[in-house]
Amino acid sequence: MNVEINGLTRQFGRTTAVAGVDLQAGPGVFGLLGPNGAGKTSLLRMMATAIQPTAGTLRLLGRDPGSYGPRREIRRRLGYLPQNLGYYPGFTVAEFVEYFALLKEVPAAQVPAAVATAIERVDLGDQAKTKLRALSGGMLRRVGVAQALVNEPELLLLDEPTAGLDPEHRVAFRALLRDVGQHATVVVSTHLVEDVGAACTEVALMDRGRIVFHGTPDGLAALGNSSDAGDGPLERGYISVLAGGRP
Amino acid sequence: MTAVGVPAAARPAAAKRRQLQALARLLRLELRRNVMPLILPVAVGLFWFTSYRKAMAMPPLWGLRAASIQTGAVAAFVCPVTGAAAWMGSREARRRTIDLVTITARPQWARQLATWAATASWAIAGWLVCATVVYGVTDQQAAWGGPLWWPVAVVAASLVAMSALGFAAGALVPSRFTAPVVAIAAFFVLALATQPIEGSHSYWQISPLVSTAWDIGPDPSLGTFYPYLPDLAIAQLMFLAGFTVAVLAGLALANGSAGTWARRAAAVVTTAGLLAAGTAVALAGTAHLDGDMIAIPALHDAANDRPLHYTPVCSRTAVPVCLNPAFTIYLPAVAAALAPVLKEVAGLPGAPTRISQVAASYQQVTGNDVSVGLPGPDMSGTVFPLVLPDQVPAPAMTPSEVAAAVRGSAGLAILGVVINDGRGATGAQRAVAAALRMAVGLPEALPSVVGRQLVTLPLPAGVQAAARRFAALSASARHGWLAQHLTALRAGRVPLAQLP
Repeated sequence: MNVEINGLTRQFGRTTAVAGVDLQAGPGVFGLLGPNGAGKTSLLRMMATAIQPTAGTLRLLGRDPGSYGPRREIRRRLGYLPQNLGYYPGFTVAEFVEYFALLKEVPAAQVPAAVATAIERVDLGDQAKTKLRALSGGMLRRVGVAQALVNEPELLLLDEPTAGLDPEHRVAFRALLRDVGQHATVVVSTHLVEDVGAACTEVALMDRGRIVFHGTPDGLAALGNSSDAGDGPLERGYISVLAGGRP
Repeated sequence: MTAVGVPAAARPAAAKRRQLQALARLLRLELRRNVMPLILPVAVGLFWFTSYRKAMAMPPLWGLRAASIQTGAVAAFVCPVTGAAAWMGSREARRRTIDLVTITARPQWARQLATWAATASWAIAGWLVCATVVYGVTDQQAAWGGPLWWPVAVVAASLVAMSALGFAAGALVPSRFTAPVVAIAAFFVLALATQPIEGSHSYWQISPLVSTAWDIGPDPSLGTFYPYLPDLAIAQLMFLAGFTVAVLAGLALANGSAGTWARRAAAVVTTAGLLAAGTAVALAGTAHLDGDMIAIPALHDAANDRPLHYTPVCSRTAVPVCLNPAFTIYLPAVAAALAPVLKEVAGLPGAPTRISQVAASYQQVTGNDVSVGLPGPDMSGTVFPLVLPDQVPAPAMTPSEVAAAVRGSAGLAILGVVINDGRGATGAQRAVAAALRMAVGLPEALPSVVGRQLVTLPLPAGVQAAARRFAALSASARHGWLAQHLTALRAGRVPLAQLP
């Protein structure tokens, strides 16, 4: 298993963002669904080693991120796209991706090829020399994905990756996820259930810091058969699970 | 997928080389996208406005200009460099990339060091351009000597320290306001740090604004008669290096996510930096005035106490006027100014056979007072020692202004020495000296101190009449009479009534 989580908890002051989550994930595309404030982003940030858990255990790629050495090894093999992508407007697309390739300790000789590949994979080859300040929101999102992919991660964490993408690029992006998921564990946090249906082999639904469903997209869809709320089977399953778990 | 995983290093040397290549690429990227080149024109403009024009208005003397631009450059660069470094230091927080960069494998200290190094490199490059221009122009103008590199090094080290300070402030207190606040604060701290300087043994001389003895200021004879003393510059470099290392290592220490080894190393380096800086401050407190420069016993090289060897430049006159070659531009005007005086006394017993420029002597008195004077007696044999007015700290003068001042000071002194017109001079001595002064176009009566004021009192009537009578003689008649009677006149054996 690339991701092994047991009783993971994260508190911010008095607020419990993640409350005792248990989760395992191997290679493939793992969808993380849930309403706003469910704790998806906090869970993803802990998995990205950006923040430390308040309680519980977390093992990533067979290592304990609590120790400096293993954490550094994990980070070499990690790709992460945060929900709000920060960027340096003066950098070009290629420079931004190169910057992260170097920070992720991609061997210097391999950096140019790795950067070119990552940029091509998100279909920004023509914009490689364009400064980030000149890009649209959707293009910036793709730049964020490129920097996450540049080190060929074994664990790829994407927080709302399709937000702002046009339909054409969203479809291409789902294909990319399936491709990466053949070798790596991809965890996608999203509001868009159609992304989960199209790309994920496994899905977890979070609500109020807990996982209230863990299974396949088809399993989630099946739970919505008795509901008439929502436009599709997955949406109906999503709404049904959330409604069932609330008092 | 393309295989771009991280292979295990086959050999340590190869792994190290790859690490260096990666760091070089990172540095190149940071250099290309750094804010410092955008702010450098401001720093260079300030330098041009406040320092370059001032230095170029000074005589083309290497020491003078070097000392002047050290102070000026540090003051001109402090705000832009500190501010830009703070801006770069706060970049990750301002641009909200903290999560993105935090989860990368490269340690935070290495990442920040690359950003800071690029920022500091641009600042140094900007300064070196300024220094090159000043030294290039001076090289075209100066008659003798060469560039002083210690002040250049102190400014460069100051910029490194300022950028480290600004960067650390930006990284630790990231805000849009950090950069302007830090820039202004750094300027005031730097400026105010010179205020407590008292005497030549002040700890505060460690400030990089201090390029030479603070109570003397940039001095035209700096490095012309005696070698430039790098003692204070060495202490300042030690302080700045220690400060920089302590700030940067402290920044790494503040980063809690670093490994145990890195944090221990950072703690050791911070301590070493603070010790170096503290030692430098303590050394500055042991300094004393040595000539027109600052000597620090623990850093002093005795070889620097020996006068510089140079071939003086001399006028082709009966009594040659010889100057240090650094002051060549003054020679024609000074020789012309002294010519009438020297013509009057040439060949007389006790008259100088050569006028030779010497270094002024400086002595710390009390507080910030320094007395400036001749290093020895008025005359050494028949060589008259000359200190040019422009040689001591004073507003810069043109060669003609220097010549006029020399005539009024050295000219008077030469006549006084030859005639023995000093305290207790006889009426005849005073009359002859006054006559010679009138003959060469100098004032008949000399100013003297009455109470606390300098006033010019008229000569006694008898002395004045005798002086005017003697001055009315032809030059050859005056010279002939003096050749015959000067020994007796100097001895006070010639009564006023015997003057022709």
